[in-house]
Amino acid sequence: MIGARSIAEPTIKDTIIHRMDPRAKILVLISTAFVAVTLDNPETMFLLFLIVLSGFALARMPAIKLKTLTLLLVLLIWGTIYSQALFYSQLPRTVIFTIIQPDFPVLGWMTNGGLFVYEEGLQHGAIQGLRSASILSLGLLMCWTTDSRDMLNGLVGLRVPYSVAFMVVTAVRFLPIIITEVVTVVTVQRLRGFNPKRFGSGIIKTALNILTPTLSNCVRRTGTLAVSIQSRAFRANPDRTYLKKLKFSELDKAMVTVCIFAAISIVIIKLLYNMYTSGIYYTSGLRPVYAIARGYL
Amino acid sequence: MKKKGCGMKNIVFFFLILVLAIQPAAARVQEEFKPEDMTTFMIQVPHGVEGSGLAVGGSNLSAYLFFESYYDGNMNVTMELDLPEGFVLQDTSVHSFSLQTEYEDWYRLIDFYVPADLPPGTYNITATAVVDVKGNKHTIVRRTRLKVASKEEIAEEIAVSGLIVPSDEDGYGDPSHPSSTVVIRETSPALKRLLKVTDLQIDREEFRSTFIGVEVTNKGESTVPVIITYDVLDIKTGEPVKAFKPAIMGMNADTLCYATLTLAPGSSSRVSLPLYISEDAMRGEYLLRVKVKLTGSDWVAVTRDQKITAISRKWGPIIITLVSALLGLTAISFFFSRSKEIMDRFKTRNLVLISLFGTVSFAAINLPMTILWELSHAVLGPFSFLFTGLFYEILLYMLIASLVVLIPTPGVVSLFMMVRFLLGGFITGSFTPITFITLSLSAVILEVMMYAAGITGKNPDPENRFRMGVVCGIADMVSGYASFSVWMVLYRLFYSDWYIMANILIDGFLYTFIGAWFGISLGNRLKKVAE
Repeated sequence: MIGARSIAEPTIKDTIIHRMDPRAKILVLISTAFVAVTLDNPETMFLLFLIVLSGFALARMPAIKLKTLTLLLVLLIWGTIYSQALFYSQLPRTVIFTIIQPDFPVLGWMTNGGLFVYEEGLQHGAIQGLRSASILSLGLLMCWTTDSRDMLNGLVGLRVPYSVAFMVVTAVRFLPIIITEVVTVVTVQRLRGFNPKRFGSGIIKTALNILTPTLSNCVRRTGTLAVSIQSRAFRANPDRTYLKKLKFSELDKAMVTVCIFAAISIVIIKLLYNMYTSGIYYTSGLRPVYAIARGYL
Repeated sequence: MKKKGCGMKNIVFFFLILVLAIQPAAARVQEEFKPEDMTTFMIQVPHGVEGSGLAVGGSNLSAYLFFESYYDGNMNVTMELDLPEGFVLQDTSVHSFSLQTEYEDWYRLIDFYVPADLPPGTYNITATAVVDVKGNKHTIVRRTRLKVASKEEIAEEIAVSGLIVPSDEDGYGDPSHPSSTVVIRETSPALKRLLKVTDLQIDREEFRSTFIGVEVTNKGESTVPVIITYDVLDIKTGEPVKAFKPAIMGMNADTLCYATLTLAPGSSSRVSLPLYISEDAMRGEYLLRVKVKLTGSDWVAVTRDQKITAISRKWGPIIITLVSALLGLTAISFFFSRSKEIMDRFKTRNLVLISLFGTVSFAAINLPMTILWELSHAVLGPFSFLFTGLFYEILLYMLIASLVVLIPTPGVVSLFMMVRFLLGGFITGSFTPITFITLSLSAVILEVMMYAAGITGKNPDPENRFRMGVVCGIADMVSGYASFSVWMVLYRLFYSDWYIMANILIDGFLYTFIGAWFGISLGNRLKKVAE
């Protein structure tokens, strides 16, 4: 059974991926996100996805994580396929199944001519799903190979204000406690005869019954925590020191340089190509660039 | 002497008589009618073709007869068209008319039919004009030849030797646009409204997307009049796509999308055809089929197919995405540049409370939804928002509203959103552009609207359920719409308008309103705990 623990907790090992500086990981992730949303060529998108997946092999991820990843990817890609099969609005499109007939009372009118499953939409969804899949996979790889404290150090290293980083640290630290509290409250509710899965008004009732005790504990805890933090000179000085100093290795530098350079290049090339196809800007000197964008990106 | 003077008189008299006698004779010479010099008589079969024409069996053609007088006087003309045996004349073959003065002319198109079973060959067509000038009859004869060829023969003689999409107005390629690609223009809603208000009709130019350049070659030895048209077909079914032949000013686009050409033997000519695209055309791949017909026949002599791609730039979603991203980046930049001042306005206790609320939202919403979101999408498809909205709207806005009740300070929602974003990024890897844009936009709109509505600020009043519900509902509707735009632009996904509308109304407003309404109760209960 895949639980919250397998999603949330990192697996600490000594691999090339684990050793990467968290700042480098964040920068690589941001660069990859830019590349993923820029690409249109299915082969290149698939290649990017494979490159991201190869990171899991390099990080020697345990089976439970790989199962979780597979499940999430399957659901993500299938969700995209499903929605695009219904909303695909390009031609040609072939109806393979009718969900709502155009002349169906009310719904036919509401859906502006019925709801169909289009064959080409399935394919489009599968291709576009790769985009989200690459970003999700890389995000999970980053989370599963980095301790949350290192990640927050990385954020502070990237000039995120310390107070914000502190809030996130607090949130991360209290996450297991609050998950346990939520589970306890749900169990107690069940014992008292509530059905938390009941649809409709039951959901709101259940939500109120879960959130009220959980948040009440949070509010109570806040006072104690705030006093404890302030007594340790929180925000007493504008600058603070850190026990662990982050340092970019040569490999980190190379990775970050390559990823940022690739992302900037790809974004600029696609931008120029889109300006060309939209009739906004064209110059004959950029024809090789247009050819690269059309053929490979 | 008398005799000599008398002689001179006689000579003068003789010359006078001679001049008087010669003058009418000279006038008579000037007015003498010369048929070839004083008329123009022309026959074209089919109309527009000088020399020998080409036709296919089963054609309805017109012979063009033209007669012009250069004679300053009256003439009566009887014109007769003599068609070869087998041709079916659909008009009278004899026409009589009179021309009164110089440069007066007469012309007629005489329809005839070339039967489908007429043997191929070259046929002579003769037109005879009998001109009656002052009772004198002159006959002028003109002959032309019409080659009736088999379909196979014509198909070999005519070819579409070039097809350029898009082209300029002269039919030549335009390197500034990608080949075989047409752009579907989006008329902005503002422009449409303006046109409606001012009672102006959308001009024909509004529809035209580009031109198609067609080069047709005649490899034969006859002059061929042709009509060039095109169809844009569904690449799979082969059915014409109506959006590419929209009605323009109440007229069928077929009446505008054609060109005629008269191809001399062994020549090539280029024409351009306008390609009109209505804005409800869908992007995708189509088959452009250029058809060449011989004048007078519906039979398509030559076709040429080319795959074309229609692309569209939906400027609405693109602009919304850009504005949302810029708004998000500006908000982040503002926060980073003034982070100390902003954070100092919050007590440590408040920061802890916000981060704990972030944790609860993550534990109660993000974590279960990591799988449930995808699972509900996979099972319920487009209607999954009815289920996911219970978490993402009702639960989330319960938390936001209760947090605002506890800390009614501007910036509290932004900090809560920031914690959620970073927590989601660290725990589930959801550091995605979509998350960043939608959360930052949502935070900015909520902050501004709450401040403007007096929910947060110097004299905050966060306990009005209705006001909180409306503010949160409107803010979520706006950020929900922007979120769909971002999905469509950055992830190239399609969503129907009805779906977006349903999502915004139910998830965006209704669920959010309910969540905010109950959030006030929750906040009030928590307030008691805090006190």
